[in-house]
Amino acid sequence: MHAVFTLREDRFFLMLAVLIGVFSGLAVVCFRLAIEWTQITLLGPSLSPSFPRVVLAPAIAGIVVALLAIHVFPRVRGSGVNQIKAAMYISDGYVPFTTVIGKFIACALAIGSGQSLGPEDPSLQMGAGIASLIGRSLRLSQEKLRLIAPVGAAAGLAAAFNAPISAVLFVIEEVIGTWSAGVLGAIVLAAVSSVVTMRAFLGPESLFRVPPFRLAGPGEVLAYAALGVAGGAASLVLLKWIVYARPKMQALPRWTEYFQPAAAGLLIGLIGVRFPQVMGAGYAIVDQALHGQFVWQLLLLLAALKLLATGFSFLSGTPGGLFAPTIFVGAMLGGAVGSIEHHFFPSLTATIGTFALVGIGTLFAGFLRTPITSVFMVIELSGNYTAILPVIISTMIAYGISRAYQKVPLFDLLARQDGLVLPSIEERREMTSFVVEDAMRTGGVLVAEPGEHIVEVAKRAEANPEAALLLRMRPGEWWLLDREDVMRLAPDAARTTTPIHAKSKGPVPYLFRDQSLAEALQVMGDWPVLPVASRADLGKLEGILTLADTLHAFRKTPKEE
Amino acid sequence: MSATSPSTVGEESPRILSRELVVILCVLALVLLLALTALLSRLYHKKIHTLADAMFAQGEADEQAGQIKTALTDYRNALAYNPSNPLFQFHLAKALAAAGRDEEARSYLLNLLSESPGSGEVNLELARIAKNNNSMADAMRYYQGAMYGEWADDPIAMRWQVRRELCEFLLSRGAVKQAAPEVIALEENIPAGDLARLKIVGQLLLRTQQWARALEVYHTLLAAGPNDEDSLAGAAQAAFQLGQYVMAMEYFDRLPRERREQPDFANRFDMTRQILAADPFLSGLTAEVRAQRVANALALAQTRAENCARQTGQSLEQAPPRTDLQRVYQQGKNVQRDWTPRYLERFPDRLDAAMAYVFSVENAAATACGEPQGDDRALWLLGPSRSVVNP
Repeated sequence: MHAVFTLREDRFFLMLAVLIGVFSGLAVVCFRLAIEWTQITLLGPSLSPSFPRVVLAPAIAGIVVALLAIHVFPRVRGSGVNQIKAAMYISDGYVPFTTVIGKFIACALAIGSGQSLGPEDPSLQMGAGIASLIGRSLRLSQEKLRLIAPVGAAAGLAAAFNAPISAVLFVIEEVIGTWSAGVLGAIVLAAVSSVVTMRAFLGPESLFRVPPFRLAGPGEVLAYAALGVAGGAASLVLLKWIVYARPKMQALPRWTEYFQPAAAGLLIGLIGVRFPQVMGAGYAIVDQALHGQFVWQLLLLLAALKLLATGFSFLSGTPGGLFAPTIFVGAMLGGAVGSIEHHFFPSLTATIGTFALVGIGTLFAGFLRTPITSVFMVIELSGNYTAILPVIISTMIAYGISRAYQKVPLFDLLARQDGLVLPSIEERREMTSFVVEDAMRTGGVLVAEPGEHIVEVAKRAEANPEAALLLRMRPGEWWLLDREDVMRLAPDAARTTTPIHAKSKGPVPYLFRDQSLAEALQVMGDWPVLPVASRADLGKLEGILTLADTLHAFRKTPKEE
Repeated sequence: MSATSPSTVGEESPRILSRELVVILCVLALVLLLALTALLSRLYHKKIHTLADAMFAQGEADEQAGQIKTALTDYRNALAYNPSNPLFQFHLAKALAAAGRDEEARSYLLNLLSESPGSGEVNLELARIAKNNNSMADAMRYYQGAMYGEWADDPIAMRWQVRRELCEFLLSRGAVKQAAPEVIALEENIPAGDLARLKIVGQLLLRTQQWARALEVYHTLLAAGPNDEDSLAGAAQAAFQLGQYVMAMEYFDRLPRERREQPDFANRFDMTRQILAADPFLSGLTAEVRAQRVANALALAQTRAENCARQTGQSLEQAPPRTDLQRVYQQGKNVQRDWTPRYLERFPDRLDAAMAYVFSVENAAATACGEPQGDDRALWLLGPSRSVVNP
């Protein structure tokens, strides 16, 4: 075992990722079992619970959840995604373990009692909390501690979703924001090991049984484009409602926080009397929608009611995730759009279930603004690559509509409403990246050859007094000539005197035009000028770059709003 | 940690012990958590399987009681706890189909089919849904899948039933030619001595107009049960269609009167009687009767030709003849005058020629004016049977 402790820290970190994955997988299994047990106990085993249970269970559980959230586990409110970002960017990866316990108990009670929330985001936070505890206990470096929370988050989410690729992508896309090689391996290992652990206990089946997918012809893609528009609009409805109502709910007197989850539970219970489908995470209902079990009127109604119920639950501060409701609304909306399109275009070969499946990704992209995760989630859930074209089209349209009418993404917005300034991954993703080409000059340089007579070089230098003098020793080796020394040697130079005899500095590091300016600055150091060489021919000069040119390029770019 | 600063965990000695301890504690915690999770998981699975089975059993009971709607809820509840159970899915799909919710049922069945493409049961249910939706191609595909698919219980019997259902489906769609080989296959796959299935096949052979095979089947059936009404009726029909009117009459005579007078039999029975009354070639007739029957037939044919010519506005005397009726009539008109009863009695070798002329006229008139009725029909039907006997 001693060998384990003498590993380099980055390798130790990878091994740790596996351990975190197994722990997270086990925690998620227990969490899911707890939710199911709670649901069976509080609402009964049937999908259509009896009247007293359906009304009273979420309301009474709401009071208990509020007491827990206010007095015992004050950090359990919210979905958990921003908490992970906060841990990473503010508190050096610190996620208190009490949050894990709190999330487990409060979310199991809330979701199990019928609150319209899901277990994925809490699982993500639990995974991060477990990872953080392990990292702190092992006294990892600050850098690794900061990264360990997303590793745990990926593990938790992967186990909750039974979809490791989607979990990895979500964490990269929404939490970390970059494809950092240093952490990617750990995230993948953690996600995979958590899914393996989870499957050992809960089986390999995905969350839903997805019907076969077939795309008959390119014309059918238009049908999915219409779904993209509907999904974008539905995403906006939910987003705008949260944007509008959350500050108002937060502004209510503090004592109301004791009753908000209960009130939300009561309202959801009242909806549940007639439409029990909207209660809880609703996976079984999504499964039915994927198998074309509902008519379009009911699908639309369920989508609308779920939006309403999710709003009640989330705005009341009940701890729980938004992923499952998003999946639910997406499936219902997709199914409804598919049914309506089938009505008008009976020749469409895609089933209602197919539209429901694409609808999941569509709403995910529009509401959570994670387009890559959305696409791959559908592929991973369906296990069918054929779905990729419709999903890409539909999700991109929904994403575009959502972005056009709601500038700030959901999680950034929630963070700002909570007074946190977390980096916006979407903004960061879309920031202009400057490259050497944007700043380099193609003129203002003279290139001398080693065999050239120094008088010739001096003549050219005299004609271009501002130009830098570069000596091309051989392809890929550039030297910077001292202009004054060249001018000094030239008048009395022998026939064999060449630029090599003049004073020079080198070899000078060189750049390529596609390199980022950030890289260029790192390379530049104290060099007054750097050559920009061609990748095809290292002896060919494409331009030069100076510090002044670089700063000028940054300055002249208009700042984005 | 970057590659340029390869710090190792072992560099700082106080950390080694600390990390070792933490890792050991982690492993211990992991073992405990594993045990706890395994226990919880086992209890949970036991609970949900009990719940799922109970709900499924309730669903089956409701379905048997004809309460399809309640059964649907029960099956859904069962599936909520055991979503990947193919038996639950299949029963839900069947219940959905029984409730007329074909699309939903189809969705579940396709899902099942993707998991077990060779399932006979799933293919059969899909075929039935396709049949309800008038989707001939899909129905054929799934029936074929069901026939050659896997069946858990008594696969030979199940495949036979599926093929029979396919035959019924094809016949209901009027696809007699497609059904015929399937019926033959059915016949060939009947276990020896299974008279019930043989009777089913007999009926299907009649419906696919495979008269000779049908007659054979009914002979077998009548050998086992000489007075079985269905077999007598089937044999009578097959014999009639084959032009074996004497045999047909035998079977008709053995049928109870009530059965014989049923609308579908009465016409055939009457026609058989008429044919036998007009047939000059029956054994046991005297030369005089035989000649008289031929003369009657000639007179009938003459009248039929004239009526048909009038009906279609053509002259039988048209020269040169343009229609088959004119051609046939003019060919026979010269000799026809001589074919009196007495002449025919004296020259019985002319009977065949005279009757051949009668059949030609009846056929030409049927082509020009449609199928004949009454005595003309008897003669018209007699023609083919005579040509079979005496080609």
